[in-house]
Amino acid sequence: MTDSDAQPRTRRSRGGGGRAGRQAARSAPVIADAYLERTLAPVNVLDEAGLSQIEENAERILNEVGIAFQETPEALKLWEAAGAQVEGDLVKFPRGLCRQIVQENAPKSFIQHARNPAKNVKIGENATVFAPNYGSPFVTDLDKGRRYASLDDFQNAVKLIYATPALHHSGGTVCEPVDVPVNKRHLDMVYAHLKYSDKPLMGSVTAAERAEDSVELCRIAFGGDLADRTVLTSLINASSPLRWDATMLGAATVYAKHNQASIISPFILAGAMSPVTVAGLAAQALAEALSGMAYCQLVRPGSPVIFGTFAASMSMATGAPTFGTPEAGLAIYVMAELARRVGVPFRSGGQFTASKAPDAQAAYESAHTLLPTVQAGVNFVLHAAGWLEGGLALSFEKLILDGDQLGAMSVYGRGVDMSENGQAMEAFLTNPAGQHFLGNGHTLKNFESAFWMSGLADNNSFEQWSDEGGKTSAQRANEKWKQMLLDYQAPELDDALDAEMLTFISARKDSMPDAIG
Amino acid sequence: MTEEFDDEIVLAELSDEDLVAQMHDDLYDGMADEIAEGTEILLAREWGPGKVLNEALVEGMRIVGIDFRDGILFVPEVLLAANAMKAGMAILRPLLAETGAESVGKVVIGTVKGDIHDIGKNLVAMMLEGAGFDVIDIGINTDVDEYLAALEEHKPDILGMSALLTTTMPYMKVVIDTMVEKGLRDEYIILVGGAPLNQEFGDAVGADGYCRDAAVAAEMAKAMVTERRQAALA
Repeated sequence: MTDSDAQPRTRRSRGGGGRAGRQAARSAPVIADAYLERTLAPVNVLDEAGLSQIEENAERILNEVGIAFQETPEALKLWEAAGAQVEGDLVKFPRGLCRQIVQENAPKSFIQHARNPAKNVKIGENATVFAPNYGSPFVTDLDKGRRYASLDDFQNAVKLIYATPALHHSGGTVCEPVDVPVNKRHLDMVYAHLKYSDKPLMGSVTAAERAEDSVELCRIAFGGDLADRTVLTSLINASSPLRWDATMLGAATVYAKHNQASIISPFILAGAMSPVTVAGLAAQALAEALSGMAYCQLVRPGSPVIFGTFAASMSMATGAPTFGTPEAGLAIYVMAELARRVGVPFRSGGQFTASKAPDAQAAYESAHTLLPTVQAGVNFVLHAAGWLEGGLALSFEKLILDGDQLGAMSVYGRGVDMSENGQAMEAFLTNPAGQHFLGNGHTLKNFESAFWMSGLADNNSFEQWSDEGGKTSAQRANEKWKQMLLDYQAPELDDALDAEMLTFISARKDSMPDAIG
Repeated sequence: MTEEFDDEIVLAELSDEDLVAQMHDDLYDGMADEIAEGTEILLAREWGPGKVLNEALVEGMRIVGIDFRDGILFVPEVLLAANAMKAGMAILRPLLAETGAESVGKVVIGTVKGDIHDIGKNLVAMMLEGAGFDVIDIGINTDVDEYLAALEEHKPDILGMSALLTTTMPYMKVVIDTMVEKGLRDEYIILVGGAPLNQEFGDAVGADGYCRDAAVAAEMAKAMVTERRQAALA
């Protein structure tokens, strides 16, 4: 030690608190940012000519082929009034109409309020929000294997998501609790998010009245009056190719009316639901997204929408969906740039894989989706953690492994620190050539937060790893999620509001027989 | 390339044996017009429709199925092959009915109520047609009355139901329960499939089989129809 030895002893801070103080500080819960603010410039894989060609192709699709708005007469009326040509349930749009409606009305970004205001998220522009897996009928873990998801699994997933700092959002149907009747399970799902988490959440989209129930539960949980605050961001999938179905339109209509956000998402397995090429898929997804977002603006001008794209490809050899492939990666970059040119938030990516276990295939396919997602500047990342088996299963181990990697991406996306401290010239000027930096003042000031540290990766010697049981990452994740559930502590929730939600749920459940669909 | 050579083939000049071999190749290559022509030629040579069906078409599609399974043929190629098979079947079907010759089987297939997703179901229909089944596709969003009406009208061997959504898949049980109530259940083989299903679900709703993919659906359909017919004879 050189410099520090020369300092007067009295300068030494006593703030460390000795062993107890350091232990407490190092084991304290991570205080995470509510969302990621990127400084990295987005990567673009197409030049101006390429992007404008795709925009031109999308306008031709909207104008010459049209988009079906199925079994929703009120949507057709709105389109007719807006100047579109309606043939049956097929709508053909004057060139530029959808784009114009979106650009004149939809916000560039918006705040989704959380029950805990410290966890409000910004969606759009330079913000990225990580949200968990969505829609899986099955759950799987190393102890019990693959099985249909239950409400108990759902609640556990919500608790784990709450306890994962890099997941900014509680999500929606993180898995499908198939043990609850179809027409009632949305009540239990929305309640679980509001009760076991205080992060922002998604609403039900499987029927218009279930969207209304979702809004009403939020109204109660948020203290009685939403006052036009956006508290739900919900997933409205196109039934690609070039088709919106009545169920999704019904939910989107309800959410737009309440100023709640909809992710207007073309859902494309290229080859089956779009042409096989990236440029073909991009033109179709742009056309579908523009038509859906414009529809929401017709329902309520200014209602928040997110341009979504779920793009994977179908294996031409077997018909099975594939994930983490290079074409899907390219599609994320192209679509993100197209969305920026429209001027709306963009949703895509996640940590996708077709693997059946949290194994090497799962890891590299997920990484090959996540890196393009962050580098493309995606604003809302659904399926950011837990996705397995093409989305058919939520893996509790992968939820934890993915959550860990999201922490890494939060650092990556913030880019290079070019502040004076970031440039570290002070370290050079106080360190002789050949001397290591471990004791340098700059290092001592920065070391704790200088490098992202995985909570799961094992970087130890072979001997230590072996002595500790030679565990794979999935086994370590398995231990971790079980411990997280034991450590889980629910966020605060006013008893009166909780009781009011439960009364509402019970009244709604009693008002209808169990049903399907 | 062998295009010039291919151009010189005149199907009507081939011996029976060579023609059948050529038809296997034409099925493989998805050439519907040639399959229709070959079918007509064999019939004109006094082949019975059952013999044409089994030796030329079903055997050709069996080879297609093997190479699809082994990753040599791709989905769009199998689709073309199935279309070629359909062209042959269109000619044979009325003749098979007339002669009372045993067809491969008949399937009524549809996506359940509330569900408009039909790509998987269409792939299954394609594989079934490829295997020689007469497939009546009653489409999407099918309610129990539509299923029952189609069963009544077409008297198939098999009822196939598909769903993509967890919210709609329980409707399969509604259909099967109604069939039980009406005493119709045992008249049909019931096969179910779709991404959110598994064997446990298939068993729980009372289906005869859960088909994990389109190729399995076709194999299971053939095996179950054969078994049922043999049981009826026993």
